[in-house]
Amino acid sequence: MSMSAEIRDSAGALPALEEESGRDPRSDRFVFSWWHLVLFPLAFLMLIPMIWMIITSLQTLNETRHFPPILVPSSIQWQNYTEVLQRAPFARWFLNTLVVTVVVVAGNLLFCSLAGYAFARIKFFGRDVVFILVLATLMIPFQVIMIPTFIIVRKLGLIDTLGALIVPNLAGAFGIFLLRQFFRSLPIELEEAARIDGASRLGVLFKIVLPLSGPVLATVAVITFLWTWNDFLWPLITIYNPDNMTLQLGLTTFQGAHQTNTHLLMAANVMSVIPVLFLFFVAQRFFIRGIATSGLKG
Amino acid sequence: MPGLTFDRVSKEFPGGTVAVRDLSLAIADGEFMIFVGPSGCGKTTALRMVAGLEKITSGTISIGDRVINDDSPRDRDIAMVFQNYALYPHMTVYKNLAFGLKERKMPKDEIAIRVNGVSSMLGIDDLLTRRPAQLSGGQRQRVAMGRALVREPAAFLLDEPLSNLDAKLRVQVRGDLKRLHQRLGITTVYVTHDQVEAMTMGDRVAVLKDGLLQQVDSPRNMYDRPANLFVAGFIGSPPMNLLRAEARGGVASAGDLSLPIADLPDGDVVLGLRPEHLRPATDGQPSMEFQVEVVEPLGDGVIVHGTVSGTLVTAPSGDDEVLPRLAGERAEITTKFEPTLRPSPGERMRLAIAAHHVHVFDGRTGDVIVAAGA
Amino acid sequence: MSVSVRRIMRSDHVAGWAFAFPAVALIVVFGIVPILWSALMSFQKTNLLSTPEWIGLDNYRALPKDPLFKTSMVHAFIYAALFVPLSVGGGLFAAVALNRHIRGIRFYRLAVFVPVVVSTIATSIMFLWLFDPNFGLANWLLGLVGLGPFGFFTSSDGALYSIIAMTVWGWIGFDAIIYLAALQGVPNELLEAAQLDGARSWSIFRNITLPLLGPATLFLVVFSTINAIQVFDEIYFLTKGGPGTATYVPVLYLFKLAFEQGIAGYAAAIAYVLLVAILILTVIQLWVGKRMVYYAS
Repeated sequence: MSMSAEIRDSAGALPALEEESGRDPRSDRFVFSWWHLVLFPLAFLMLIPMIWMIITSLQTLNETRHFPPILVPSSIQWQNYTEVLQRAPFARWFLNTLVVTVVVVAGNLLFCSLAGYAFARIKFFGRDVVFILVLATLMIPFQVIMIPTFIIVRKLGLIDTLGALIVPNLAGAFGIFLLRQFFRSLPIELEEAARIDGASRLGVLFKIVLPLSGPVLATVAVITFLWTWNDFLWPLITIYNPDNMTLQLGLTTFQGAHQTNTHLLMAANVMSVIPVLFLFFVAQRFFIRGIATSGLKG
Repeated sequence: MPGLTFDRVSKEFPGGTVAVRDLSLAIADGEFMIFVGPSGCGKTTALRMVAGLEKITSGTISIGDRVINDDSPRDRDIAMVFQNYALYPHMTVYKNLAFGLKERKMPKDEIAIRVNGVSSMLGIDDLLTRRPAQLSGGQRQRVAMGRALVREPAAFLLDEPLSNLDAKLRVQVRGDLKRLHQRLGITTVYVTHDQVEAMTMGDRVAVLKDGLLQQVDSPRNMYDRPANLFVAGFIGSPPMNLLRAEARGGVASAGDLSLPIADLPDGDVVLGLRPEHLRPATDGQPSMEFQVEVVEPLGDGVIVHGTVSGTLVTAPSGDDEVLPRLAGERAEITTKFEPTLRPSPGERMRLAIAAHHVHVFDGRTGDVIVAAGA
Repeated sequence: MSVSVRRIMRSDHVAGWAFAFPAVALIVVFGIVPILWSALMSFQKTNLLSTPEWIGLDNYRALPKDPLFKTSMVHAFIYAALFVPLSVGGGLFAAVALNRHIRGIRFYRLAVFVPVVVSTIATSIMFLWLFDPNFGLANWLLGLVGLGPFGFFTSSDGALYSIIAMTVWGWIGFDAIIYLAALQGVPNELLEAAQLDGARSWSIFRNITLPLLGPATLFLVVFSTINAIQVFDEIYFLTKGGPGTATYVPVLYLFKLAFEQGIAGYAAAIAYVLLVAILILTVIQLWVGKRMVYYAS
């Protein structure tokens, strides 16, 4: 098997989002399929909350206070969006979330790669015990650890700073697990050849192994991004100052202050959802692969 | 009891690939028919059309008098053994065998009779409580056969059933299959890419290439009278030597050979010479100078590879297009001598070419012009 | 540098620990230590500020007498009992529908998967508006077929079920992805063999496909149960446990206890009881699964 095929296979089976026209030559794609009658309502149900959110975000306040609901706004109120930006430090929240997420993703990629490689390829004292310990943390629900973690973070003086959101999440067992599995599936001869050629372990990791790990790194990045961006409970516990809030937390305070300004609330929500949706469309394969492989882990 | 008939059957896939072209073939009731050809020749597609797993683009397939084009697979009374066996992994062997009967609402005790009967015939009755994962390759193959047999179908389809077995098992199962067919007499279509299997097992063999039927005949006839260049080069091991020649005035010339052949039209031709028909020449016969290169002694003969002057034609054998093996203006040919004759490498000798053993093919179309005699 | 020091520095043990240290340290400090500390806390009386006081099993003894705790646990189980079958079953249905090669299947798949990436808060906001009792689209649509109007999140009878409906919407895509991958792993030949054996579509699904989906189903049931018992974000945002205590759930309770009322020891005890409950449920499910699920070797 060629190298790339081996690596592709070891990254796990992936439900095909794209049609593979070679796969089922018998399928006749040009005949009407009764399945459309099932799929269309299903897709509609899945999308209607978002569609409705977008429509509402472009209405006036009066239009929202109308029953039956007005399905098509008489004019498009783009200024709802600018009004949201004025009424709340939305841009700030966005920036906070972005900073936290990017740093956490970068930290995970770096630290989990190092640790994953160590667990995969380096025999060191206590390796297996420590790995099991790491895996165990995957199964512990967050509420068990959140109180002591809060105390620790407070002792580190990070409460109400972005540091509280970043530091505890810089390395997670999920990334270590995925990367270790992947590294183990690579042919070890490559690394051995590089070491014989004089490369250090670090060099082997960064120059040989990581360049081959694109897909799994992308998967870890994308899943970590999603989880960090959407996290609510931890920021809720640790952040109080509106200037330091993340999007999810900020949305909550916005909703508290603007309960009846539905059109603004929807606009704010749309803005909070767009980055993740965009990332999803761009990196679909990795999201789906990440979700599917968490199934393998189970 | 029904036979199986193909009437101008074609299969075109969406996207334009034509897998089977205008296949017309009548399989007699109880006959063991083999479809053989290189990969991509359409043999598996043809088989799947009989099973109903591929839609027929044009033409009809009939069992007996009944056209089955529009019947779903379950209504065709056909059983199939898949190349990878397709055993239900989560069911025991018994349940695998019983599944089809259960689906057709057969009462439990009747099912038990049939399943036990078939499993003892195939020698798998001590495996009935096991799961496929616990079986060896040969055992799985027999379970797959059992699943097909237990339904007592009108026709029996096998898709390369021996290809996943190791060489020794293959020979044994080949014999088992033949014996089974003799005993049960079910119309059988058997697909393989291995021409040795085809020649040893079939009542008749159908050779396919690129979706077209090349020839259908008994193994003996196919060997002795190939209808075209492809069949000539495909059937027989070591393969037939195919030499370019020019025919003029009833004489075929290739290299240093001048061979008079009866009823030979003028033009470019290809001479087909089976290795076992090439013997050291005695005086007076038409012959070619032959330089020995490699000698392979077998038990029942000696294979000698060497060169003559001339140009080979390579009958395209499918996936690997072999480049003309030329050494300068020499062509490599293979002969098969009696075991007692053992030339040495480098030796020069003359090979006798007997006209009645030569197959002459049209240089352009590949069809046979002059068939070899007895 | 002496030879022996250099040799140690080059040794695998040092290298291994050097590589693993940052991640392991983080996980120990922010994972292992809190797990143990939490256990310790559950035997203490502490408000997170002053020194904790050891009270032995008092926290645990108080739990059975705590009506709010019992209510929240009941709600967690009701929640799981509805959420799991609906989302897993719905995911299977969606996956079967999505396992086609028809025109537009990409669009349908995306539509089903998208809700998974939307955050719990964003989802809650969407549904807060969708389920608005006075102006919401849901009441209008239901009214068109003669149902409602409903209070949804404002109704003490309906709030929990409304939240369940919302979270099922958010998670079906996840289950569908897993099932879709599993469905595509069923060898086509098996389905063809079953067809030739005489089975109709439903029988093929029930006898061949469904059993082979067993591992995926087991995973999804265990995973969804664990998630369902820990539900928090949506409850906090939409109802804060209300109306009244209609949507009170364990994690909400312990959050309030620890961070609003300063009763952290008791909260830790609840967290551990919850953990044990989850463990027991998981073990039961895995045990049942082992007996019923066939694993392809």
